Amino acid sequence: MYRWKTSVLLLFIVGVSIAQTSDSTVTPAVQRAGSKLACLCGGCHNTIANCPMLGCHYAVPAREKVNKLAQESKSDEEIVQAFVRETGIQALAVPPATGFNSLLMRMPWVVIALGLLAIAWFVRRQRSQGTAQANASPEMDPAVLSRYRENIEKDVSRLD
Amino acid sequence: MENLGALALLLAFCFAIYAVLGSLVGRWKKKPFLTVSAERAVFVVWGLVAIASSILVYALMAGDFRLAYVAAHSNKSMPFYYKFASWWGGQEGSLLFWTFLLSTYSVIVVWSSRKTFRDMMPWIIAVLMTTAAFFLLLITVPMSPFNVLTLNKGIQDMGDGQGLNPLLQYWTMVIHPPMLYLGYVGFTVPFAFAIASLITKQPGDKWIMQTRRWTLVTWLFQSTGVLLGAGWAYAVLGWGGYWGWDPVENASLLPWITATAFLHSVMMQEKKGMMKVWNMVLISATFFLCIFGTTLTRTGIVSSVHAFAQSNIGKYLVTFLAIGIAGVVYLILDRLEYLKSETHLESVVSRESSFLFNNLILLASCFAILWGTLFPVISEAVTGDKISVDRPFFERVNIPIGLFLLFLTGVGPLVAWRRSSLDSLRRAFLWPTVSGLAVIGILMGFGVRHFYALVSFGLCMFVTWTVISEFYKGSRSISQRMNKNLAAAAFELTWRNTRRYGGYIVHMGIVLMFIGFTGSAFNQDATLEVDTGTVSHIGHYELRIADLQQGENDNYAWHKAVIQVSKDGSPIGTLEPERRLYKASKQPTSEVSIRRRINEDLYLNFAGMSNDNSKAVIQAFVFPLVSCIWMGYWVLFFGTLVCMVPPKVKLAYARTEVVGVARKNVPVEN
Repeated sequence: MYRWKTSVLLLFIVGVSIAQTSDSTVTPAVQRAGSKLACLCGGCHNTIANCPMLGCHYAVPAREKVNKLAQESKSDEEIVQAFVRETGIQALAVPPATGFNSLLMRMPWVVIALGLLAIAWFVRRQRSQGTAQANASPEMDPAVLSRYRENIEKDVSRLD
Repeated sequence: MENLGALALLLAFCFAIYAVLGSLVGRWKKKPFLTVSAERAVFVVWGLVAIASSILVYALMAGDFRLAYVAAHSNKSMPFYYKFASWWGGQEGSLLFWTFLLSTYSVIVVWSSRKTFRDMMPWIIAVLMTTAAFFLLLITVPMSPFNVLTLNKGIQDMGDGQGLNPLLQYWTMVIHPPMLYLGYVGFTVPFAFAIASLITKQPGDKWIMQTRRWTLVTWLFQSTGVLLGAGWAYAVLGWGGYWGWDPVENASLLPWITATAFLHSVMMQEKKGMMKVWNMVLISATFFLCIFGTTLTRTGIVSSVHAFAQSNIGKYLVTFLAIGIAGVVYLILDRLEYLKSETHLESVVSRESSFLFNNLILLASCFAILWGTLFPVISEAVTGDKISVDRPFFERVNIPIGLFLLFLTGVGPLVAWRRSSLDSLRRAFLWPTVSGLAVIGILMGFGVRHFYALVSFGLCMFVTWTVISEFYKGSRSISQRMNKNLAAAAFELTWRNTRRYGGYIVHMGIVLMFIGFTGSAFNQDATLEVDTGTVSHIGHYELRIADLQQGENDNYAWHKAVIQVSKDGSPIGTLEPERRLYKASKQPTSEVSIRRRINEDLYLNFAGMSNDNSKAVIQAFVFPLVSCIWMGYWVLFFGTLVCMVPPKVKLAYARTEVVGVARKNVPVEN
């Protein structure tokens, strides 16, 4: 009897614990404006448009708010700004590209550009050194040359 | 028992310090007995850490709930394998596990390399044991796994524990952390070899070959760990994703990327004697990124769902990182002469250049991920405002970088070493390019308009063509000369140069993964509120709810939906997604049900009950091509194993550029 009561109580707790509100509020407005707004539930790195957590304590009310603002004929930009006024720029999935935060998007490309410059410098230096070295020592050491010839012979014979 | 465990760790710390000092003093004073004694100390450290680990595992298995760690991460109702997995389920235990793996690696290195690398061994031991001593310090002083629970100065037995986090009670979680740790910790070994070679100014490439082999093994472990983590996220979290750009996930990817760059650029050092400084930087960066990942996971610098509880070990880790990086930078700068290239790059249009670009793009990707992960912290420190850097940033930056990398994967084999003529390039690129463009054209004909998806599929074809043609050309040549069929010739070809053709197989694994990633551009999803008998649709699937069930066992209570699935009107089976509530932690989890096929997965998640508790809420997803990611892993796994097989023909790489220069440090290889 005790076990039966415990089981019923536990199943009730399970039901209550996992009861969720279904999420039917992903409207075109949510897809447009919501894709610029971060889900701040702390458990994912999605936007409120694509946070898949059912009953997410942040994304679901945020979507409802987006829909409400859209029904009030607010533009996507106005909706986004409404979130920023309330939560700060943390509400944005990617911070605005102004001031220090503009470095976020720029730096990876700056690094690639610097890398390309470094490669260009490296190639140029290597080629000039190679040319200088070849010009400086036109004479080949016969011993070294014969060792290389032997190696080449060995390699060629292996191919056969 | 707990006192014995704590004492074992303290003694292990002392012996690790002794191993460092013994090996260094032995080398400095030229006292071989001290060096040998330091080698033996490595074995003692392993023995003591093994004793401490055994005691903790025994306490977890036996349910010794006097220990704070056991009470926090285990309970009586958990199956034994999850009790065992609790060893690495929490902060202190995972640090002990890390130390155990490091000491095991150290023993293997000392045992297998003590004769081959006699000169380097004292330094190798010094690096390995310094790292071990650091982790032993962490688990001896601030993070001991043997702390007991006390109440009013008396030891308290909790009777039962909280249990392992329910999300971690999944089979891949039993092997995912060990695999990842085997990778993280394993990178210490190539780093130790690199530092030892730098200090002792090793001539020749023997140590490089050894380092490459170790890197390959640990790279495979790291790849396995990352993919198992992705598989776990896909099958357990219930949101259908396999990668969330979480800081801890990113931390596991960073050393993998630098190690991948190292595995490519080390070929330049072996074949051409070039890029020595760069390789030293890469292997050091890989090691320090592992430590950085640990710092990220365990100190709460950035918020993450995966992170361990915040702790005060951040200052220890940051100090270790700062000293280590400063030491390596000094060593590299001090020995630049020793690291000078032996040959020179002859042309921009060459295999060597493609490796340079490959390294640049890999490093750019690594930087972008690191930058995006840390930018919220940096920005808050500079501007005072909290910001979010989420999925859109990572995708906007990494998708083009990834596609360019995929392009280079195809370009590499088409370009010759030293230099390529325009004519040979035209011939080499013609058919791969035509095939890639043909795929794009066909897909556009079928109505696909997603730009990145089109580019990705086109590049996948481009790379596939180059890889297959490499195999075909080589196999046909062998087949004609040795009168073998094409399959036998392909086997012979691969065996002759396992590293090259194993590498191509790994590239095919990467191509398959890219196909899987690209499939996500066509995902479909629907959230359904259903009752028994309800029929719903997603894509060309029809879902009929046959039954809603509930029940419980000792560990958890559950709700389950039995769903009959039809495709285009034909029944194809039953899926049973489940929702659980774990009793000890009162935490709900999803047990998703997936119909896996090569072309697409049907993925059902029992998300919960509706507000009035009368209907089940089911999330249904269709994930096209996602299986290619997991297949790609197996191809990558196989390819890496092939790379490790000793080749039938021992290849010699004649550094032809130096002919006539006759420099002293350029040995002709045999």
